[in-house]
Amino acid sequence: MRWLALSLVGPGIWAAGFVLVYALHGVGCARGWPAMGLAGALDLHAGALWAGWLVALGAGALLLLRLPRAKAEAGLPVWLPRVGAWIGLAATAFTLLPVALATSC
Amino acid sequence: MTDSTAPGQQVATPADARDDTLAIAPNPPRRALGLHRRLSRVWANDPGWWGHVTAVNHTTLGLRFMGTALVFFLVGGVLAMLIRAQLATHDGAFLDTELYNQIFTMHGSIMMFLFAIPMLEGLAIYLLPKLLGTRDMAFPRLTALGYWCYLFGGLIMLTALLFGVAPRDGWFMYTPLSGATYSPGINADVWLLGVTFVEISALCAAVEITVTILRQRAPGMKLTEMPLFAWYMLGTSVMMLVGFPPLILASVLLEIERAFDWPFFAVARGGDPLLWQHLFWLFGHPEVYIIFLPAAGVLSTLIPVLCRTQIMGYGAIVASVLALVFLSFGLWVHHMFTVGIPHMALAFFSAASLLVAVPTVVQVFAWIGTMWQGRPQLVLPMYHILGFFLTFVMGGLTGVMLAVVPFNWQAHDTAFVTAHLHYVLIGGFVFPMMAAAVWWMPQITGRERVRGLGEAAFWVILIGFHGTFFIMHLTGLLGMPRRIDVYPDNPEWVWLNLTSSIFGFVMTIGFGLFVLDMALQAFMGQKQRRDPWRAPTLDWAMPLPAPPYTFASIPAPQHLDLPAREVITILARGEGLLPGAPRDRRELLTTSLGTARPDHVALLPGNTALPLGLASAIGGFVLLMLAGLYALTLLPLVLVAMLIWRWGRGMVRPVDDAPIEVAPGLSLPLQGWRRRTLGWTGSVCLLVANGTLFASLVFGIGFLALVASEWPGPEARVTSAALPWVAIAALMPVLGALAQRRSDALQRRGGDGSAAAGLGVVANSVAVAALAVLALGHMDDPTQHARDALRGVLAGYVALHALIGAGMAGFAMDQFRRAEITARHAGLLPVWRLWQDYAAVTALVAALLAVGLGMSA
Repeated sequence: MRWLALSLVGPGIWAAGFVLVYALHGVGCARGWPAMGLAGALDLHAGALWAGWLVALGAGALLLLRLPRAKAEAGLPVWLPRVGAWIGLAATAFTLLPVALATSC
Repeated sequence: MTDSTAPGQQVATPADARDDTLAIAPNPPRRALGLHRRLSRVWANDPGWWGHVTAVNHTTLGLRFMGTALVFFLVGGVLAMLIRAQLATHDGAFLDTELYNQIFTMHGSIMMFLFAIPMLEGLAIYLLPKLLGTRDMAFPRLTALGYWCYLFGGLIMLTALLFGVAPRDGWFMYTPLSGATYSPGINADVWLLGVTFVEISALCAAVEITVTILRQRAPGMKLTEMPLFAWYMLGTSVMMLVGFPPLILASVLLEIERAFDWPFFAVARGGDPLLWQHLFWLFGHPEVYIIFLPAAGVLSTLIPVLCRTQIMGYGAIVASVLALVFLSFGLWVHHMFTVGIPHMALAFFSAASLLVAVPTVVQVFAWIGTMWQGRPQLVLPMYHILGFFLTFVMGGLTGVMLAVVPFNWQAHDTAFVTAHLHYVLIGGFVFPMMAAAVWWMPQITGRERVRGLGEAAFWVILIGFHGTFFIMHLTGLLGMPRRIDVYPDNPEWVWLNLTSSIFGFVMTIGFGLFVLDMALQAFMGQKQRRDPWRAPTLDWAMPLPAPPYTFASIPAPQHLDLPAREVITILARGEGLLPGAPRDRRELLTTSLGTARPDHVALLPGNTALPLGLASAIGGFVLLMLAGLYALTLLPLVLVAMLIWRWGRGMVRPVDDAPIEVAPGLSLPLQGWRRRTLGWTGSVCLLVANGTLFASLVFGIGFLALVASEWPGPEARVTSAALPWVAIAALMPVLGALAQRRSDALQRRGGDGSAAAGLGVVANSVAVAALAVLALGHMDDPTQHARDALRGVLAGYVALHALIGAGMAGFAMDQFRRAEITARHAGLLPVWRLWQDYAAVTALVAALLAVGLGMSA
């Protein structure tokens, strides 16, 4: 069970990060965050979206770093949890890349 | 998965249980005919017509699912021909607009809900136990219930078509077109209720497929070594558990809006039609992969055998399935690129839509690589596989085109999209399913096919298909919208449409030949020798056609690497585990989740008409809803509750059975001694689906609160006087959870927990009563605004869960009273615990949301 759960953590981080950033994007557009300054040229909306993306990337990277120490179920190989973590990290980086490239609302 | 706290320690585990090998001594060989006769008597369907009613066997029901799906496919095909006849000329007078709308809506709905999904369910139900080395699916009565719900839901929709009241708003039923204002009458209700009825079947299948794969693999068949088809089906079933609830929620909300005027999608009262689109496509896009993955599983099973080699990249394929299961839930908005979504959100979903091509391509390259390293044989299944490659790759490429927003804006709602989706669905599902049919027909019928006709059918289908739909890309690029019945002002579309129509009829002739080929094989074919494909998988390690018990003994680890033709005799002579049916009851072996270590022996129910009764009661509810007799719907609901109680009583097992020696030196307890039974795992699956439905509701609340134009609504009449009742409704399920724990503690000590279970009944009942007080005296009129309607839905959700919690507590109380719960046997307690905890958490969240929606001072 633990092995299967470990395999799902990476893509799960992507799913949570995707939902978080999409929700922040929706809330920000509805509440006018792009017009609210945060620091310098950075507005509240961009700040929130960057924060959400970086948190998701950080969680994915942390998972990859910690995975070798995680105790998998005896008799099951570690490749699937590892590949799952890479899938999650790559998907987080690619699908949320528009945070850095596109206008928000 | 073995529960360390449960009794049953008489289990003699193998000596090397801590490493990754599993040695189990073989049983002594027995007389195969004797085993066969006794097993057949125990596992066979009842004789005569009554046997059709009471059958719960997976082979019977799998075939029944597939046969019924084939009939619906033929009906959907006839409807497609009517559409093509209408469009063959620019002013087609063949159908009037009303009937044309019904026909294209029913074509799409039938092909998606009544053909594709039931067909894949049927294939999985028929095949999985045979591939995994077990005797049946985890919940045979659930299989039967799913079939009856599917049949009745489908018949309701077909009957509506015959009477001219079929749905007519397109297979995705967009609001406001499908709302009461623009779709008066029962047409839209037929879709909402009929499809939801059919979806019960999909959820039943998803639960049992998941549990069967996770808990019933032959001993030693680790997850990472099981046949790829099982990986694909595991991904599919999990996607069904998570993908169907958003559509069920959307259908329920729209039906409530139509029946009771609660506004969820009506803009003037705080609703938003885009909520429907979000919920529909949250289901609708994963649905494409739900249909594709089993077909890909078939390809991964067939290609290596047909190429006389091993599959290339087993790990890469498993990783691709994992990626697809997740990524396919991040694409739904690409169906909504033209509704006015901000740039960045478009870019998120465009990126995800492009990314999802990667795991798909990995699989395609793995299959090509397998063919490259092997010696492909150009036999009939390979024809269909090559047809798949040609067609699906083209569909995938147009999918990548549509993932790009600017192109999508140009091609949206044109015949280009129709062409793309048919390339994906016929290429990605129908061709592999035809390969599967040719492959497994010898096993199903025990007969050889008649040479030549199948090849002719393939070529006619392939030519007809591409002639129809390749040209449709061009029609779309010339600007022809979908779903129009005449185009008098566009003569430039005529020759393209006429050509598509002619080839459409060619394709239909091809499918007719295909069906004829199968019929000839079933009724006139020569007797088939065993293992005709010389396949390595266990599905061929049995007599042809497959016997009702599937395996006379369960394969042991040492049998898993042997060719099927060698294992047949070993298993037939009872040298595997749990040989025969010496206790004259349906027994199978459950194993641990990851490494498939023997865990316990599960007893399956025998033939029963209960699933038909339950499906009929649900059908009564659906029909009364369609008739608008809402008050009378309470009657079938009470009947449903009574039958579910009876169903539960049928699961109660003897409390004093001794462990069973399944192999020399290996004794296993019966399921009653375990807390984590198959039923417990199934309940977890059901709660995953339930949780997704609740999360979709939370999403809906957030979406409307943020996006709908008429928020905040009129001044709320709800005041702080309602808060005590809200608190009672939220906290009573928590008290129920505490009562459950008290029952658990008493059970473990061998005490009488009936009073604690009784407290669970009271707590849940008080929650329901508090919600009734709120509804009658403290809540705003739910027809006033979406906010109030959503509060009503939240209250109903909590009330339903508390009501079921009360029922479970009552059942446990009854089990204590009957001494069916003892220190060794937990009875319903573990499942009640899961439910009650879930009900408590969702009640608290719902209370916070209801209060958060605002109230007056």
